[in-house]
Amino acid sequence: MDLTPSAEQEALITATADWCADNMPLEQARQRPIALWQELEAMGWTAMTAPDMGLDHATEAVVFAELGRHLAPVGLVPSAVAARWSPHAGKAALALLDGSLEGGMLRVFDPHGAVQALGLAGHLAATTELPRDLDGGPSLDPTASLARLDPAPPFEAIADPRAALHLQLLAAAFALGCADAARDMAAAYAKVREQFERPIGWFQAIKHICADMAVRCAVARSQLYYAACALDAGADDAAFHIASAKLLADQAALENGRANIQVHGGIGMTDEAYPHLCLKRAHLLTFIAPARRDILLGDAA
Amino acid sequence: MDIAFSPEEQHFRAECRDWLHVNVPSEPRPLHAADAIDFDKAWQRRLFDAGWAGINWPREYGGRGLSIVQQVIWLEEYARARAPWIGANFVGINHGGPTLILNGSEAQKALHLPRILSGEAIWCQGFSEPGAGSDLAGIRTRARIEGDELVVNGTKIWTSFAHVADWQELVVRTEEGSHRHAGLSWVICDMHTPGAEVRPIRKMSGQIEFAQVFYDDVRIPLENVVGGLGQGWKVAMSTLSFERGTGFIADQVKQAQELEDLLARARQTGAIKDDRIAGDLAQMRAEVAALRAMTYRNISEVVRTGQPGPEASVIRLFTAELGQRLERMALLLAGEGILDFRYGEDSLVAEYLRGFAATIAGGSSQIQRDIIGERLLGLPKSR
Ligand SMILES: Cc1cc2nc3c(=O)[nH]c(=O)nc-3n(C[C@H](O)[C@H](O)[C@H](O)COP(=O)(O)OP(=O)(O)OC[C@H]3O[C@@H](n4cnc5c(N)ncnc54)[C@H](O)[C@@H]3O)c2cc1C
Repeated sequence: MDLTPSAEQEALITATADWCADNMPLEQARQRPIALWQELEAMGWTAMTAPDMGLDHATEAVVFAELGRHLAPVGLVPSAVAARWSPHAGKAALALLDGSLEGGMLRVFDPHGAVQALGLAGHLAATTELPRDLDGGPSLDPTASLARLDPAPPFEAIADPRAALHLQLLAAAFALGCADAARDMAAAYAKVREQFERPIGWFQAIKHICADMAVRCAVARSQLYYAACALDAGADDAAFHIASAKLLADQAALENGRANIQVHGGIGMTDEAYPHLCLKRAHLLTFIAPARRDILLGDAA
Repeated sequence: MDIAFSPEEQHFRAECRDWLHVNVPSEPRPLHAADAIDFDKAWQRRLFDAGWAGINWPREYGGRGLSIVQQVIWLEEYARARAPWIGANFVGINHGGPTLILNGSEAQKALHLPRILSGEAIWCQGFSEPGAGSDLAGIRTRARIEGDELVVNGTKIWTSFAHVADWQELVVRTEEGSHRHAGLSWVICDMHTPGAEVRPIRKMSGQIEFAQVFYDDVRIPLENVVGGLGQGWKVAMSTLSFERGTGFIADQVKQAQELEDLLARARQTGAIKDDRIAGDLAQMRAEVAALRAMTYRNISEVVRTGQPGPEASVIRLFTAELGQRLERMALLLAGEGILDFRYGEDSLVAEYLRGFAATIAGGSSQIQRDIIGERLLGLPKSR
């Protein structure tokens, strides 16, 4: 039993963080250069667990948490799942199929250059080929472009239930990263912003908000690690652990997203400052393979 | 990263399980102080005779000297077997004994350690005072030196098991006019010394488990000072390094069991159909799992580096608050029946009422949040 990243995993985390800081700065989060996707592919992040690279889910999860912390393109999540399980090759956009069940219309995120879309249909992951040159417009999350397909194209289910677990796990990793980002922004600001002649982080009312952000991240990160290992080990309770990881990471991302804005005060609710990017990303992530209550309660069929 | 235990560890788990299966008493711990103390002592003796006392104490002092992972396994199996709460032996085994191991003289160790391990001697902890709680450095109980004795005057409060204890780890101010952390000494006090008066205090749950202790010219031999005069703060803090993140494992396994019991109950009564109750139970199941994962992470950190990670205070805070939410859920599911509660009962109501201690005793949740904000996030110190 060892739930700390190995030396190799630590090195990967550091390398990922360094690369992201240099090549994927937050300043560009809402207008990523078109060429970025090729660079992300070249770094191997779209296919870490695909047969060629064959890394385990634990390694992939720690790297995705890091990518998520830099608000990396959301298309990485479905693409990494597709690379392992989809019959089609190439970038996968994120499909939210729940909406299409209601109104017939399908929402697809990060569609630029995607050849397919991947999402959750019921209990299984499913893919569809996308029309060429599909491009997106604005969405709630300024870092994710949105295209609508009406009517929704037919989807092809991926029979192996692990594909759906994989999707949920990586979405949880992204949500954890998003929660980490909000925590770090809030703590950094609380150290430099002064009122009443001292940094606001001196005041317990602010300090304890930040402490709770750190608690949520620690809890969600721990469960993410356990869940990833459970998936790697093919454990019977992997679905429960991954659902738990998703639930806690989603909550951490949302709550930290809100808290971060409160810690920033007025500037926190402007379009120009970054806090709203975390909050809005958190809302988007909650729609990717949300944790099912029957699985959490251990009474799924 | 992986979550599997090695074959040797699994073998050890089986060994723990087998012994506990045969030896865990079937009767519950009695409610009343005098019976409870006999029960605690008898159980400690049984652990001792079988070599299971002091699992984290070095072998040279009669302990089991388990590795950190073996401690985790033992504590998990201990809770799973619903073995008794350590009760009155808590301070001796987890605090007083380890402090002596790290700081005591050979004579102090020889006299006290075997008696603590076997359950023969009960210890209590005299740190908190009416004016020094969260701010422990505000200790005012003082001791002057007369010949080869300390003469103690003052008072300690919230001292758990003071009314049944034989010995006390007592922190007093031995340098007149000293301030804060300086000038304190950690002393072994014989609770039967003339001038030491114990006034038990009843908790809102009905139990009498702690007391206020008054010292009126209590004479303690100077040789009972541990770690040197004026070193009290350092000695008191040293124990923290003895316990490496295993302190809450038994609580966590117990919480997991309680949650499964609550879930079964909610299903049986149909309360699970209430969306809010189902949601809360689902939430707590995820949190119980995450708490175990967080503890495993912390333990892995100890194995790797010899030190618990900085997130130990997160574990402590989260365990305490999750435990209280579980107790509230138990109450909610019990319904109107809780109104029949009276003192002298060991029901879930008593557990709920006693459970308030989790976020107060030994560093309140507010203090934990300060520590997390300052040590984990580097925010400026407020105190
Ligand atoms: C069941 C139980 C058993 C105990 N057993 C023992 C024992 O065996 N031996 C022993 O020595 N002690 C014991 N204690 C005492 C315990 O350690 C103290 O109660 C604890 O340290 C808090 O101190 P206090 O009660 O004086 O509360 P205070 O320190 O007065 O705190 C009151 C409130 O103020 C808050 N507060 C205090 N300072 C700050 C701050 N800087 N910032 C924000 N909030 C603050 C606290 O969080 C709390 O909510 C026990 C307590 C309990 C409840």
